[in-house]
Amino acid sequence: MYKVIAKLDSFVHFEHAKAHCDVPCGIYDPSTAQIAALTVVRMIDLMNDLEGKAPEKKVNFHNSMSRYIAVKEEHAEKAKHEIRVIWGDYIKAQHVEKYPQLTELVHTIMQLGSTTRQSADREAAVKFVDAINEFADIFWQTKGIATKKAQAPYAPALEMVYPDL
Amino acid sequence: MIRFLKVTGDSLAPEYLAGDFVIVVKVPCIFFTIHEGDIVIFEHPLHGTLIKRVQSINNAAGTAILLGTDENSIDSRNFGAVRLSSINGKVIHHFLRSR
Repeated sequence: MYKVIAKLDSFVHFEHAKAHCDVPCGIYDPSTAQIAALTVVRMIDLMNDLEGKAPEKKVNFHNSMSRYIAVKEEHAEKAKHEIRVIWGDYIKAQHVEKYPQLTELVHTIMQLGSTTRQSADREAAVKFVDAINEFADIFWQTKGIATKKAQAPYAPALEMVYPDL
Repeated sequence: MIRFLKVTGDSLAPEYLAGDFVIVVKVPCIFFTIHEGDIVIFEHPLHGTLIKRVQSINNAAGTAILLGTDENSIDSRNFGAVRLSSINGKVIHHFLRSR
């Protein structure tokens, strides 16, 4: 019977009823935000290293420092963007109901992201990583996927939350 | 009034998949009314003609919560309760394409 209807549709072109989804692929993953936040910490470490190594502050110093700052800026914003996308497109009312701390957590992430752009405050940058890790932990819980904590295998080697697949 | 519609999108997967056809009757009418669990057709000002499942009905407010089954479904979780007056069809038969 389906084939008959489909054949008829090829002539008549039935109206469409959209079983509409936001993202056809449905791919959301907080790992991009986690890596971006780690990069912010890494850039602050490199900035502090450079400060100690080049007391004379010549042209090469300014060149390297500018690059580190630019990457820090870019990745702080990237991390915020990735969290905003998951928050806006994936997180639903029932997630917030189950994890009521989400709203304040996302706001905290936004504020910490801004702080890491406005300053070279390493402590704030580590808090930025921690807050995004907490977000990642909740995100994977909404998927029914357990998480594990492990040290990132690259500098600054902070403890990160990973899906335990 | 009866009409045929073709399903696009997978927000009602796995029961309804893109390419399926449905026979829809106009509602409300004498013989068909809307109940929780029904698959209905309604008009959304932004998204056009949508097909979703009735999660709940609030007769006092004249609204219904319409949901898809996929977590990425655009439904009442995004645009809130839907006025019953915007629901204009109820699915009474479903032709599945080969799974």
